Amino acid sequence: MIGRLSLFVPRCLFVVLCFAAFGARAEPYLAVQLGLKCGQCHVNPTGGGLRTTFGDIFSQTVLPAQHLDSPLDNWTGQLGQYLRTGGDLRFDASAMQAPNTRTVDQFAVQQMRLYAEADLIPNRLLAYVDEQVAPGGALNREAYLVYWSATHDWYLKAGQMYLPFGLRLQDQTAFIQTTTGINMTTPDQGVEFGWERGHWDAQFALSNGTAGGAVNSNGKQSSAQLIYVESVWRTGVAANYNAQSGGAKSAYGIFGGLRTGPISWLAQAEITDDQSIANKQGKQLATLLEGNWLIARGNNLKITHELFNPNRAVPNGEQTRWSLVYELTPIQFVQIRTGFRRNDGIPQDNAEHGRLYFVELHGYF
Amino acid sequence: MQIDRYGSWAALMLLAGAAGCAGNGQGLDQNGQPISMGGGSGGPTTADFQSIQDTVFTPICSKCHIGASAPEGLQLDAAHSYNFLVGVPSTEQPNLVRVKPSDPDNSYMVRKIEGLPGITGLQMPYMETPLSQATIDAIRQWIANGAPNAPAAAAKAQVFAVQATAPVDKATVKAPPAQILVTFTQEVDASLVNDTTVTLERIDSASAAAGGAKTMTAIARLAPMNPAVLLITPTTRLEPGAYRVTVRGTGGGALANMNAATLGADTSFEFTVEPAQ
Repeated sequence: MIGRLSLFVPRCLFVVLCFAAFGARAEPYLAVQLGLKCGQCHVNPTGGGLRTTFGDIFSQTVLPAQHLDSPLDNWTGQLGQYLRTGGDLRFDASAMQAPNTRTVDQFAVQQMRLYAEADLIPNRLLAYVDEQVAPGGALNREAYLVYWSATHDWYLKAGQMYLPFGLRLQDQTAFIQTTTGINMTTPDQGVEFGWERGHWDAQFALSNGTAGGAVNSNGKQSSAQLIYVESVWRTGVAANYNAQSGGAKSAYGIFGGLRTGPISWLAQAEITDDQSIANKQGKQLATLLEGNWLIARGNNLKITHELFNPNRAVPNGEQTRWSLVYELTPIQFVQIRTGFRRNDGIPQDNAEHGRLYFVELHGYF
Repeated sequence: MQIDRYGSWAALMLLAGAAGCAGNGQGLDQNGQPISMGGGSGGPTTADFQSIQDTVFTPICSKCHIGASAPEGLQLDAAHSYNFLVGVPSTEQPNLVRVKPSDPDNSYMVRKIEGLPGITGLQMPYMETPLSQATIDAIRQWIANGAPNAPAAAAKAQVFAVQATAPVDKATVKAPPAQILVTFTQEVDASLVNDTTVTLERIDSASAAAGGAKTMTAIARLAPMNPAVLLITPTTRLEPGAYRVTVRGTGGGALANMNAATLGADTSFEFTVEPAQ
């Protein structure tokens, strides 16, 4: 009976997904295309990392252009009654050019991450770990416990975690990720309270403010965001305040998404003020506008414009970045991304005029 | 469907309209800092080496870490910092490199500026306010990005030559160095690093009495993650006395860069190890 049920549930999910989410894809734009919250496809309610069973089935049956038949059931990461696992591998071939500089081309494993979730009390209490195992030695990214309310309308998380602040993009080098310093390379240790009810999502986190490093002051970092999700659009606001030694740093952001036919749009704007930097030079601005055109199932074309003002107190120093990325998911578990990123900035700095060409193999399970 | 179509066009126009342009750089120096403010120091640190040099190493660290007496032989002025950091084993904890590209957590410099448990000595900057978290994050990000050199610095390095040494020429050191560094302006061809191109000799009166300079056994190799840095490790502890390191840049099999350009001349430097107090 249990065996039949274990086959029945994924198949039902598959059917539901085929009708509800035809042709949708990964990252926040996927959520916009589907009209779902991040926690629908990821164990982490704020997105990223291990996929839920829904996310696993979706990524194998709806995401790829073609679903290769397998004698095995769809992968759901289930290892026994209490454990689930998953992972992501990103391997790049890239060439980076800048004026008057030798081109750097290389193969590189960007990351191999393994995720594990222990359902200690099913649907109520889980332990989660996100470990980067390559390149280099093992590096813990996230490790926390989450307690969910019986009705799943609030949760409490404690441990090391990514902080909530706007869109959680795959590209960790996006201006909106680096300006705040809040991204998936800088988890912090603390607690997070989440509230999910109807169209609303909210999180509040209190953490050390040291990005997982040693505590060097008594100040703490507070992060909060509030999101409203409709089926074709969403909007949210985020704030962060880090009472770090040497001067507080604050960040405020507004973000949203919109689906118009086959195109999903993402937008975010944020300002930061780092008072540890003298002469008001810590006031920065970063924006992102992105369109994702679902050309056909398994084929996505992404165009992104980013703006970064490294010093809002001084004019003429803005930097921009345009990205054109084509994403092909030919079969389940395999995605190939190829793209071009063009940076532009002040004429006198060659480093702000980089051109990046890349092909990336993304394996996921 | 009409809404979808119009919505797409509206969003596309919004994207085009909202897309800002890069600044023209008027009134700014090469680092994007106002010329009237002197430029360089004081700006927010970003995850590139030039920014870290201008906002951290030069104004803060090189107050001490400069010249022949730089602590731990670590020179952090603009001319030397990259090759003294990237891929170079720490003298305090030789099992860790100071900056390990793509791995900030295992980079000893990060542990020092974060003041993590297990470091030798004190958190850096020495006896000063710790770096802001934003600055540390930028340094971490630069390392996570592979710790690339500043394009401008790389562009300047047109001539293959010895850039710096540690110990510096004519230096007197109180303790025998476990490792001797020679940094170059460009990457070195590893196949040419051997005991005919890199020699360590004892040149003091004790060796003269024994018949002249005495060649010391030492292992020479390039730093694994920075082939512009030559690491020379004596196989035995250096006794008090005078020493000379020679890098052969002429003749067959001379040390050369990846384009087979040799140094063009032999380069030597000397240092003295003081007797223990």
